[in-house]
Amino acid sequence: MRRIGALVSRNQRFIPLLATAVLAFVAYGVGAIIYPGMRDPQVFINIFRNNAYLLISAIGMTFVILTGGIDLSVSGVMALTTVASAALLREGWNAWVVILLMLVMGMALGGVMGSFIAYLKVQPFIATLAGMWFARGMCFFISDDAIAINNRTFRILGGTKILIPGLSDPTAKQGDFVSIFLVVSFVVLAVAMYLAHYRPFGRAVYAIGGNEGRNEQSARLMGLPVKRTKVLVYTLNGFCSALAGIALGVFVLSGHGLYANGTELEVIASVVMGGTSLSGGVGYVFGTLFGVFILGVTQTLIQFNGALSSWWTRIVIGVLMLIFIGVQSLLAARKRGRRRAAAREAGAPAPTAVRNRRLLVFGGSGAVIVIVLALIAINWIPKSPGDETAAKTSTPSSVCEFKPFRQDQAEIAVETGAVVTYERNGGPDCIDELYFIYPDGRIVGDDGTSKIEKQMTPADVDTLLAGINDLGWFTDEMYNTWHTPCGQCYGYYLTVSYDDHIKTVKGVDGGTDAPADYWQVVSLVKGIVPRFATAP
Amino acid sequence: MRQSRSSFTWRKVSESKLFFPVAALALILLFDLILVPGFFTIQTREGNLYGSLIDIVRNGSTVALLAIGMTLVIATGGVDLSVGAVMAIAASVAAILMNPYVLAKELPPHLMKLINDPTFTWQPLWIVILVALFVAIVCGLWNGLLVAYVRIQPMVATLILMTAGRGIAQLITNGVRIQIFYEPYAFIGQGWIVLPFSLYIVAFVYAIAWILTRKTAIGLFIESVGINFRSSFFSGIEEKKIKLLAYTFCGFCAGIAGLVASSNIKTSDAFNIGLTLELDAILAVVIGGTLMSGGRFSLLGSIIGAWVIQAITISMYAVGVPAFALQAIKGVVVILLILLYSEQVRGFVRRIGAQKEA
Repeated sequence: MRRIGALVSRNQRFIPLLATAVLAFVAYGVGAIIYPGMRDPQVFINIFRNNAYLLISAIGMTFVILTGGIDLSVSGVMALTTVASAALLREGWNAWVVILLMLVMGMALGGVMGSFIAYLKVQPFIATLAGMWFARGMCFFISDDAIAINNRTFRILGGTKILIPGLSDPTAKQGDFVSIFLVVSFVVLAVAMYLAHYRPFGRAVYAIGGNEGRNEQSARLMGLPVKRTKVLVYTLNGFCSALAGIALGVFVLSGHGLYANGTELEVIASVVMGGTSLSGGVGYVFGTLFGVFILGVTQTLIQFNGALSSWWTRIVIGVLMLIFIGVQSLLAARKRGRRRAAAREAGAPAPTAVRNRRLLVFGGSGAVIVIVLALIAINWIPKSPGDETAAKTSTPSSVCEFKPFRQDQAEIAVETGAVVTYERNGGPDCIDELYFIYPDGRIVGDDGTSKIEKQMTPADVDTLLAGINDLGWFTDEMYNTWHTPCGQCYGYYLTVSYDDHIKTVKGVDGGTDAPADYWQVVSLVKGIVPRFATAP
Repeated sequence: MRQSRSSFTWRKVSESKLFFPVAALALILLFDLILVPGFFTIQTREGNLYGSLIDIVRNGSTVALLAIGMTLVIATGGVDLSVGAVMAIAASVAAILMNPYVLAKELPPHLMKLINDPTFTWQPLWIVILVALFVAIVCGLWNGLLVAYVRIQPMVATLILMTAGRGIAQLITNGVRIQIFYEPYAFIGQGWIVLPFSLYIVAFVYAIAWILTRKTAIGLFIESVGINFRSSFFSGIEEKKIKLLAYTFCGFCAGIAGLVASSNIKTSDAFNIGLTLELDAILAVVIGGTLMSGGRFSLLGSIIGAWVIQAITISMYAVGVPAFALQAIKGVVVILLILLYSEQVRGFVRRIGAQKEA
């Protein structure tokens, strides 16, 4: 026991990191038990594949936070990169030149912000806020609308599947794969770890941060190049943001000024969850990987659940951050406590009352966390398989028997004038809902037993159709991604008739290779159709 | 003799806390005076005043309200990033209390009619306002507890509510944008008694904050906590309670701002209400001359700071900068203003004073 205690206190600085890693894997494990679909190795890979841009950006942010600063401009720079590269590619520029130019642009923006912070003593918060506004505004100077990227190199960058030996069949070119930018993000991670832990630059970064800015003074007195390091850190982060922007642009194959809105929060949250202290000086680049992992697992769990809305991601991340910060400040309190104990031995009195009160508050906030978690659980459990509600609606087994799509019914509806037919099948409650949207704004829903109707204006339908068309419904980019769905996932069957085109795409939730804009189309339609009352 | 007196006034003016915010506002208004004809015309319609200047104070009132609360928090050496999310929560609570039926999937026809009836409200207006403000105060209290008693850094502690708060707001409204039809509620943000009603709300909240900080010792305590919380603690100031009070008051202000904002657009939109407004509010405080490191603060300066931000926006519109490009301009102007505040410029102003004295 004592040896364990010694081990813990010797490796105390790794505890937040370890906690993050353990929690991430536990969350994934729980998900894999509840949702068999999550056991697919590809789903695991996709957690990183879909968040590759987040990881790249979070790595740069880790350095900034280690110096005790903050960079709010990352999302703006990302959006600017997507728009600028899309616009340049549309003009026919060479893709590699564009990528190089974007990286230089990101570094320049970061460098300028860093100089403001280091030399003119502007608060990082304010300088990077102005940077974010500037970058986002510039996006709209370039283009008001989304620009599609049709460049071949970008398509290859986004579409290449690097098959994993052992998990795939190279001759049939099928199986589990990683994307190019997933590899890139891990290369960036390796380089960043080398920079942080084996280079003078990294040591200077750690020396500057922490202790509410007082360490900066000590670092300067030690003769470390404080100002130059700061500028370099923000330049590095600008580079990472631009690279993340390219990864995002390649992933969604378009550019728009509203992309990555609010991403800076997710990036900062990943860094904090990865065990880096926001006051700087404490933390590991490697931990950021697990911060992003937790974020990705949360998103995946919510996607697989299907019944929870996306805003739960935010609440869960908020609660997780509270827990991590709680652990961090508990460790800090223990450290202080030990120092006080040492002081007591030297004869100084110890204010134990303060510590007791802190414990009380910790108990209180712990109780709040438990309540919130309980609330989440209450929301979750009825939707999990094997439960009464799920059993009542259909099969008693944990996996729902998938009903075939009612294709003929949909075809007839299209012939009689429906512009959109949308069928949602499966899910935790094993539903089968078929909706028709007519040009006069009438929406009819049919779940096999009952029907509901909703009336919209014809203009709404026009906007919907135009939106679906803009997202590339009738291009080759929107293809079927139908495989056997996981037990709790939804399958979708979506027919759109617009401008004399009729096209049907089938897809499935938790799908691993859905086209970039497919989910946006689905969410457009999903948001408009009326809801059936769930089983009482 | 005459010279020395004039230098005395110059120094008094230039060293006043309000000098820089007022100078910034004057600079922007001067720009308007030259480039925008008719910017200063004020019309009267049915006894009420309308015009670009009125628009500045009216549209800036949300940020001004946030800035009042934010000033106290920043003066204690903290920052509150969650005000935008708290606005969304307060607006969502208010919208639900006025019309809970919008969330129902299917309704009997007699209730269906109520959904867009401008005279219908489920709870009386005063309960709506009180409950929404109460929820906002609880949010502020939560922030204050985390910062003062659990000793989490302010930026991190409030980041938690900033991330989770918007999710909570969406949870309350079930992720739906709720249109508010109840007519009296719209008066909060759109009403007009000679001047816009929201301006009176700002004045009211400012009066509360002013009496709280300048007519009691609390203001002094806040400054002392911001300058050095340890020595304040040793001199017998209960710094934890002071911090708690500041964050709670900030939550209260954010709640009012949420009501004003949602009533202004007659919609409770959990996604967009108050989005990035925390940044505007902090900026307003900084422009108003309160240092981010805490200590001395100026409430009036922060309100003027909020108007400066709004004046930039409105003058850009007036000059014809398209709405989408506004952010880029705003970013540049912010950097220029912050440079105006830098030590170099302050030193320059001081030197002018010194020259005059010589």
